[in-house]
Amino acid sequence: MSTTTFIRTEDLKGLVADLRAAGVGVAGPARTSDGAVDYRSINAFDDVVLDAQPRNSLKQFFLPPTEPLFKYQRKGSDVAILEISATFPPRVIVGARPCDAAAVDVLDHVMNWDYKDEPWFGRREATTIVSFACPGGDRSCFCTAVGLGPDATRGSDLLLVPAGDGYYVEVVTEKGKRLVDAYPKRFGAGAGVDATLSYREKARASVEGHVPARPDVIRQWVQEHFEDPFWADISLRCHGCGGCAAACPTCHCFDIVDEPETLDAGTRRRNWDTCQTSVFTAHASGHNPRADQCGRCRQRVNHKFAIYPARFNDILCTGCGRCARTCPAGQDVTEILTRIVAMATGQGGAA
Amino acid sequence: MTELRELARRLLSEGTVNAVLGWEEGPRGARPAFVTTPDGADRLIFDHRCVHNLASYLSPRRPHLKRLGKVAMVLKPCDARAVAGLIRETQVPRENIVLIGVRCGGVVTDPDSDAALSEATVADRCRGCPDREGRLADHTVGTAGPGFPGPSHRAQKIEELAAKPADQRWAFWQEELSKCVRCHACRQVCPMCFCDRCLADKTQPRWIESSPHARGNMAWHVARAMHLAGRCVDCGECERVCPQGIPLGLITRKIASVVAERYDFRPSDDPAVPAPVGTYRMDDPQEFIL
Amino acid sequence: MDSTTPAAAGGFEPRITAFVCNWCTYTGADLAGTSRLQMASNVRIIRLPCTGRIDPMFITKAFERGADGIIVSGCHPADCHYNAGNYHARRRFAIFRELMDFLGVAPGRITFSWVSASEGAKWRDVVNDAVTRVRALGPFTAYRNMVVVQATAPLSTAAADHSPPEHGGGGEGLRMQSLAAAGVDSGATKEVQA
Repeated sequence: MSTTTFIRTEDLKGLVADLRAAGVGVAGPARTSDGAVDYRSINAFDDVVLDAQPRNSLKQFFLPPTEPLFKYQRKGSDVAILEISATFPPRVIVGARPCDAAAVDVLDHVMNWDYKDEPWFGRREATTIVSFACPGGDRSCFCTAVGLGPDATRGSDLLLVPAGDGYYVEVVTEKGKRLVDAYPKRFGAGAGVDATLSYREKARASVEGHVPARPDVIRQWVQEHFEDPFWADISLRCHGCGGCAAACPTCHCFDIVDEPETLDAGTRRRNWDTCQTSVFTAHASGHNPRADQCGRCRQRVNHKFAIYPARFNDILCTGCGRCARTCPAGQDVTEILTRIVAMATGQGGAA
Repeated sequence: MTELRELARRLLSEGTVNAVLGWEEGPRGARPAFVTTPDGADRLIFDHRCVHNLASYLSPRRPHLKRLGKVAMVLKPCDARAVAGLIRETQVPRENIVLIGVRCGGVVTDPDSDAALSEATVADRCRGCPDREGRLADHTVGTAGPGFPGPSHRAQKIEELAAKPADQRWAFWQEELSKCVRCHACRQVCPMCFCDRCLADKTQPRWIESSPHARGNMAWHVARAMHLAGRCVDCGECERVCPQGIPLGLITRKIASVVAERYDFRPSDDPAVPAPVGTYRMDDPQEFIL
Repeated sequence: MDSTTPAAAGGFEPRITAFVCNWCTYTGADLAGTSRLQMASNVRIIRLPCTGRIDPMFITKAFERGADGIIVSGCHPADCHYNAGNYHARRRFAIFRELMDFLGVAPGRITFSWVSASEGAKWRDVVNDAVTRVRALGPFTAYRNMVVVQATAPLSTAAADHSPPEHGGGGEGLRMQSLAAAGVDSGATKEVQA
């Protein structure tokens, strides 16, 4: 898929209006009541804020924080399982950042691993992701160190890069092509790829070098240093609050609960969960293999940079930097990964 | 800062403590520091970006920190109220910690901020701070800034909400609490939330549903507000760490004002002052009881 | 309007849950009964040893499960069977009441009272007063309907004592625990914690 096209800014506004008029849900980065920027439902392209990375990620659109799976009703010794119809109306995300779009693609592996996660893929199929090449990141961004970049197309159906009086459009997938073909008046000729080069270079330069681009080195060191005192050292400041997991676009662990509404009936749900809490690995026997924050901090890095790559040949991190930004205790993933590479390549790394 | 670093260096080299808990410069601004060697004392800083309440690191439920043994802790006067709370509730023996009080002039809300401390940038909870000197300390260093007078923006917002009819308040809180994803960051950073097993994690019976829907979130935030009533020191960490931007400071401040009005209690850095919930007076107001 | 008769047309009758202490209010309510005092019949009583035992979560749980109003009642100051339980409750509920009001729960839905073992008539008055007030406020659907999940169709029925059922229908991708293993037959929910 290597077709390209162009959309003028005016036509982009019109496209969003067309989608809304057709009853298609549209979401994008927009201001919240507390002055932040979150991905949320929007009604018009004017609401979209493109100069700040949204505080949340796209995860909630595919894996909601809480999701009812089915209802149950007990009658005597029988139990009826009552389906909750899951329909996924078509929707478009306009203004996704490439790190967030890529994250959704990364999660497809685990969501189709030991069984196919139907709600996840139902939402995936119903959603078209229109990403905007990122203008550049802050010091916590490191997408280029994990094989991505401010203009990466992974996970996007269309990638828009500012150029001229609108956006140069890379049509990445069949689904993206279907969107272009459905609204042909909005797309047309315009600035070519050359007009996007300096934007891309500037964005890249702003994130390069924050973490050495050596995921293979990181993976090996993590695999071979399970008991290293490094983990105890970095875990001292961690509160185990799980804010990193909540903000992370690739953290996907969930808990299944049955919630009774009456003595005989209730709902089974799945809810976001995080390995950073003390009860995550608590056994019924009382034993907890990750009894303190040392093991839990290690798990986060291990899962993302060693276990997931070993299983799926893919890194469970897209370098968005949200964990570093949201951490109340100043824990910084770029610092941790840089220190690991330094230790692995024999260039010191002690605090 | 030199005074602080020298003191820390001395405490560590003399073996009085195994570690000094303070602040250092991190990749994203000021952050908690754990200095275990005399040379490391040079990392310690204190300025208006030192927002964090370090008292939560004293909780006995953090085995990886207990292993450090005897520690010294740098604390702002407001943090001292939390330490006093932990001592009051017998979570931390006073003789096990060396407290280094730092005179404070107020902090901003974001430890990564480049902005200077000013009327526009000071954290709301610093307004009208009664005590920038601090008394619960073995050593006191630094110079106090002039501080910032009230009124608190939160107090204004609470008054606005109180003036509305109940159903509008309900709508406001339903919207705010709907953002909650039950990450429990607010609980984890709170120095007074130190229970080995939180009520929210108990399942027999399940008083607080774990699902981040409106009903579960309401139960959680009601429980947390009630469990902290009279114990919260208004350090503002819960609101700062919330990844969803929920204005938790409105609830903490409202409860604090109820407790102050009814029982003439304000958070104190004197562990001998009893907490208001868990104690009573014979003549407590009961105008609401038929 | 006579508060002992149900509302005319419309017919909403509030459900009131009362958390009362065993030694004073429960005995007082019993006295009201043996004295054949007429009162509204909307109240279901839950007996506790002392108001000091009442956790605010009892009240939130009652609202979650369909209560439109709550009564909390115990011994007068100086009469507590356990000396000071009601004093602790007094502080706790003073704060709780203001918290709920702040969050938007109409204060009229929650009633607090001291009713002694000999105050059958007072119990009648407290009940009638609470029922009238909550009836006027209407059903507390706002609380119990915070989360409503509609089921659309039965997926399967499975007897609890059989081996793991086939899960047919739309959820085929989801791996489900056998219902017997989930303890449905014994009615217990599985404790996941240590």
